[in-house]
Amino acid sequence: MLDPQQRSGHYGAEISLQSRPMTTQEMTPAIAAGQWEEALAIVALHRDKSAYAELFRYFAPRLRAFGIKMFGNEQQAMEMVQDTMLNVWQKAALFDASRGCASTWIFTIARNVRFDMLRKKQSRKDDISADDLWADGDYPEQEDNQSQQWDVHLVAEKVAPHFHALPPAQRLVMEKVYLDELSHQEVSEQLGIPLGTVKSRIRLALDRLREAIDGPRS
Amino acid sequence: MAHVVKYHPSISLLEQYSEGTLAPELCLIVAAHLDFCPHCQTLHRDIEADLGCELAMQKAPVVDGSQWEQMLDQILSAEPVAREELSKQHSLHSADNKSGRVSELLVGAHRFTVPRSLQRIVAKRNKWLTLGGIATAKLPGSEENHLSLLCIETDTEVPLHTHKGLEVTLVLAGEMVDEMGHYAAGDLIINTPDHTHTPKNISAEPCLCLSVLTAPLEFKQGLTRLLNPLQRFFY
Repeated sequence: MLDPQQRSGHYGAEISLQSRPMTTQEMTPAIAAGQWEEALAIVALHRDKSAYAELFRYFAPRLRAFGIKMFGNEQQAMEMVQDTMLNVWQKAALFDASRGCASTWIFTIARNVRFDMLRKKQSRKDDISADDLWADGDYPEQEDNQSQQWDVHLVAEKVAPHFHALPPAQRLVMEKVYLDELSHQEVSEQLGIPLGTVKSRIRLALDRLREAIDGPRS
Repeated sequence: MAHVVKYHPSISLLEQYSEGTLAPELCLIVAAHLDFCPHCQTLHRDIEADLGCELAMQKAPVVDGSQWEQMLDQILSAEPVAREELSKQHSLHSADNKSGRVSELLVGAHRFTVPRSLQRIVAKRNKWLTLGGIATAKLPGSEENHLSLLCIETDTEVPLHTHKGLEVTLVLAGEMVDEMGHYAAGDLIINTPDHTHTPKNISAEPCLCLSVLTAPLEFKQGLTRLLNPLQRFFY
């Protein structure tokens, strides 16, 4: 599928690795390419507290915002942040950069923690657990599917009218690739998102457009 | 496996699965579909990558620093999990018969392979109840969403029914047909309250399905709820 270089984190202009005071976090995302993947590797190898602290300072407030969105309250959101970030500290060795970005890995941990928290609250902890539901990249790598082979002009003519139905992030990428005819790399640079994410969004958008044209697949 | 899965979850169902916002029983049936379907595995990974990117790009509000520093100290004081322990935990996914997993299911004389995602829950099934050529076993589920296994023998028809809620069926082995199509392993069939259908097994092998029902079935053949043991049987 995608090579690990392409999937590594790259969210915009580079900044220095110096830690910043925690109270001044307007925090516009700005990370050097591969920074978090490297930080996780250092934590896994050396139990490096300062590399971990960098990860923590960046992701903990973002996880909190995500948690508040999901739970609707601060207390459970913070419980989720703590449990998620503890997993990141203790299980960094399980992170595999060839399977995706650090942020994707951290997201999946948070999702699983949240799921199991909800189950536990309903005393249904043993029925279905996050471990059953998400295979954590255990699936074998796939060949790139046919989405990539769609003809540019066909897409522009037949499919462009359906662009409005796409989520904004996917629509933007599709417009840049199929209407402005930029390369995936150019789109990645313009939008400051990882190349892997550009490709992901295109695949998702194409599947969604296929649905809009052919009707749902099930 | 040569069979290509034809009936898939919609993208929005996959998105809710990847986010973890779908009801657990529905998450489970989507996860079991993924065990059969490389195409949806790829889409699921793409959705996860997208959600991860969203998390990283999120603007975080100003928060009280001391609370964070306290949490950070607490985490750093925790002992790291040993590497051997991690790899042991990680390999649980594929290990058989560990921590209450079953990789094979015996129904009458038939032996079925259980997909990864169902290995734990299938170990906790209730006993099989048989009626005509149909056997069913309940799995632990919530009040709202009933989860069960259904085994339909050769030349057997499930009585014509509609659904008060959603009926989601995943074929785990064998084949079946209804008025809308022909289904085989990995196919996910979603029936809403407006669907009426008569699933049938016309193949030479038994057909094993996983089913999620969000409300009791309503049988169409003039049987009231009290007179009709079928309804209890299937819900």
